[in-house]
Amino acid sequence: MGCASSVPDRTASRGPSSLNPGSEGANDAKNLKVKLVLLGDSGVGKSCIVLRFVRGQFDPTSKVTVGASFLSQTIALQDSTTVKFEIWDTAGQERYAALAPLYYRGAAVAVIVYDITSPESFAKAQYWVKELQKHGSPDIVMALVGNKADLQDRREVPAENGIEYAEKNGMFFIETSAKTADNINQLFEVFFVESIESCCSHMASFPLNMKLVGCVLVDLVAL
Amino acid sequence: MLPKCPIVPRANGYPIVPGACGFPSPMASDSVSPSSSSDSAYDSAAYQNPNPNPNPSDKPINAIDGQLMSSLVLADSTDSVNHEEGPPSSVNEGDIVDANVLASEESDRTVMVEVDVREEEEEEVQRSEAVVVEERETGGGGGEGEVWRVNSELEVDAPDSPNSSGYAGERGTSSASSACGTGEDDICQVRDGDFVNGVVESQAVWIPGKRHVDEDDASMSWRQRKKHFFILSHSGKPIYSRHGDEHKLAGFSATLQAIISFVENGYADEANNGDRVKLVRAGKHQVVFLVKGPIYLVCISCTEEPFESLRGQLELLYGQMILILTKSVNRCFEKNPKFDMTPLLGGTDVVFSSLIHSFNWNPATFLHAYTCLPLAYPTRQAAGAILQDVADSGVLFAILMCKHKVVSLVGAQKASLHPDDMLLLSNFVMTSESFSPICLPRYNPMAFLYAYVHYLDANTYLMLLTTSSDAFYHLKECRLHIEAVLLKSNVLSEVQRSMLDGGMHVEDVPVDPSPRSGSASPHLGQHSPERVREAYTGTGGPCGLWHFMYRSIYLDQYVSSEFSSPIGTPKQQKRLHRAYQKIYASMHDKGFGPHRTQFRRDENYVLLCWVTQDFELYAAFDPLADKALAIRTCNRVCQWVKDVENEIFLLGASPFSWWGKRIEKCFAEWPVGGLIAGHLRL
Ligand SMILES: Nc1nc2c(ncn2[C@@H]2O[C@H](COP(=O)(O)OP(=O)(O)OP(=O)(O)O)[C@@H](O)[C@H]2O)c(=O)[nH]1
Ligand SMILES: [Mg+2]
Repeated sequence: MGCASSVPDRTASRGPSSLNPGSEGANDAKNLKVKLVLLGDSGVGKSCIVLRFVRGQFDPTSKVTVGASFLSQTIALQDSTTVKFEIWDTAGQERYAALAPLYYRGAAVAVIVYDITSPESFAKAQYWVKELQKHGSPDIVMALVGNKADLQDRREVPAENGIEYAEKNGMFFIETSAKTADNINQLFEVFFVESIESCCSHMASFPLNMKLVGCVLVDLVAL
Repeated sequence: MLPKCPIVPRANGYPIVPGACGFPSPMASDSVSPSSSSDSAYDSAAYQNPNPNPNPSDKPINAIDGQLMSSLVLADSTDSVNHEEGPPSSVNEGDIVDANVLASEESDRTVMVEVDVREEEEEEVQRSEAVVVEERETGGGGGEGEVWRVNSELEVDAPDSPNSSGYAGERGTSSASSACGTGEDDICQVRDGDFVNGVVESQAVWIPGKRHVDEDDASMSWRQRKKHFFILSHSGKPIYSRHGDEHKLAGFSATLQAIISFVENGYADEANNGDRVKLVRAGKHQVVFLVKGPIYLVCISCTEEPFESLRGQLELLYGQMILILTKSVNRCFEKNPKFDMTPLLGGTDVVFSSLIHSFNWNPATFLHAYTCLPLAYPTRQAAGAILQDVADSGVLFAILMCKHKVVSLVGAQKASLHPDDMLLLSNFVMTSESFSPICLPRYNPMAFLYAYVHYLDANTYLMLLTTSSDAFYHLKECRLHIEAVLLKSNVLSEVQRSMLDGGMHVEDVPVDPSPRSGSASPHLGQHSPERVREAYTGTGGPCGLWHFMYRSIYLDQYVSSEFSSPIGTPKQQKRLHRAYQKIYASMHDKGFGPHRTQFRRDENYVLLCWVTQDFELYAAFDPLADKALAIRTCNRVCQWVKDVENEIFLLGASPFSWWGKRIEKCFAEWPVGGLIAGHLRL
């Protein structure tokens, strides 16, 4: 069936902020910066996910990424708090695999993407999870993303497999479609809310009724 | 519509954070040094294989001859018209006569194998099916048994159709290329058959990327492509093919490998150092091999481009591969001769195909020089000054480019950038803002540099190259600084204006040249109101001048006039490009003196070319142009180039060729005597 998502169970103690505030130290309560890296096999749709999030577009002729491309997107809250996502869209091609540490080093969030029509890409995603568990920052927040959820009839990786693997590894899980925009904002919303929670835990009165709609944050009350 | 499945909300409304226990205590984030880690990636990718490739030179020579025949000479053989019905047979006897090694020119390590093909030369481009059948008939019987025996001895993947070992390309004639409106070396043959039609239709805009992936050497359309490029490993594994899917071409690749090994083997003495280049002629087809250690590059072409040009194209193709992977890939082959390189080049089809496409239009591919975007001198100075700032802060090269034209370029200290590296770098497509390892083959083929690329607008991009893999944020700051200065000093708007206005228009060649030291020399484009230019449309410049190209030897730069009406279409431009390429090759033959001129008239143009130690001028005129007038016009062009040199060239950059023998001479002469060293007289 359609898009699935899950979040890992909460552990008893919260521990240190799960989103490390970024090496630049520019974070304060009002202006947060989140360094995010996308990893996954070539062709799973990483660049398309980022493009959908940053520009609201889908390019079916998306070019293979070389090295990594850097994009950023700032989201503003009504109380003038901003969250700036600094996104590394890495190349999934094998020759760049060894360079991945360049990009995930210091990342607060790793989004590991596979293509629901490709079991190989799911295996590759598990490789990246292991790599990050070994070499990534200990605080890194990981999300497992099954993309191309619009291709239901060609699905080869059941959502349950994704959910199960994510739960075992303490990751978020969501299925998205960069093509239809399904769940793309929800994906980033997780980190958005996360970053506010972890960096501004003192802000007890953070408005609970906010949702991201089409990359624009609106107050649900106002809708 | 998909059912929406939002993140499961928690009690407090937030998704849950994975706790520390979610991770099997990760190690500290250790950064692997990129160079060593990339090496190890290559190493680990190489699996061990105890059986290195069998040495094909052990095979009987006639066997290899047969391979050569069946694979290449068949270029001119024709296909079985109804091959579904025919028995697997028939390699035309007419095509397999003898292959003699006629000449070896050891001095330049080029071996020319002339294959004497007894066949009926056919100049018609649009040959009909009837002619095809006729050719088969003249072929007669005989010979085929031997070829097939040979195939089995070599254990090359035997073709399973009567045609599949054959490479039947299209004959290249000037009319052939004119039949081809796409600017691509596609099939130019028009048949009644239904499969060709889609390919023949012309395309206004060239779209990068691999086409015809469904083809392999058994497809007739594949064999009719006018120009093929292959990269393969010394064990015969396909690495890249311009047309068709590499994996489906394994058999063909193995055949090429066998041929190369055979030709190589004959010259084992000289095979020990350096690259080797070979040329095989088969009728109208040229097969050029370039051997780079474990990598073989092959071009099969019937475009009648000179051997030297094709060889240069293979060099660039190799350079592009090195730019992506560095020369350390060779190590993978040391460990495992059967190493499969294709995964390492995944997704780079578009890079290679756009390079191959540029062989059709970009003079930099044979001039080994770069071209600048015309800009007012102070504007370029401003751009250079800000780039110099960052070059002093640890950036190896800072390059501001607009499409394939350089706005400004600065290298740290003694570092200089080879024009070929610039070509390959600008051909390596990158996204809006990226940071990627690249290797500059002429700078250091063994090491990666890191390229920070940022597009300032749709066409203008800044490239900052560094040796440090950690430099991204520093380079990003540099870029922000540069961008701000460029905006403030209007450089970017000037760049856009220049893109629209173009540079030198032949219509603007001064008719009565002012003396060099005379009054204010006109700036580019200022002395030619649009309406004057309009009046010339369709006739070109003075005295029938249609186009020119001027290369400054010391600057490693060239400038060419904008294309206008007599050479308005991509097809005409490609033809002129080929004509220039040919005359360039002939001017750079051995015995090249300090001053040489050539005046050549054919049905398409008068081509006039003038080569001195300081510059080279190539000019195309109306085929009816008067010789004396053409010569006078060339002198005016040179004078004009001199007058506007500070707008069309980047002066003061350290060109690559400075660091050769010429350095003293260069300092003595440049810039005063750099451009015009004489007056052309014929
Ligand atoms: N149907 C469908 N196609 C998608 C979706 N997302 C991406 N694609 C297609 O998948 C192809 C690859 O997408 P990219 O975003 O370039 O893949 P990538 O993961 O960035 O690949 P690399 O840059 O090589 O690592 C493109 O042709 C897209 O059109 C999706 O959600 N649905
Ligand atoms: Mg990508």
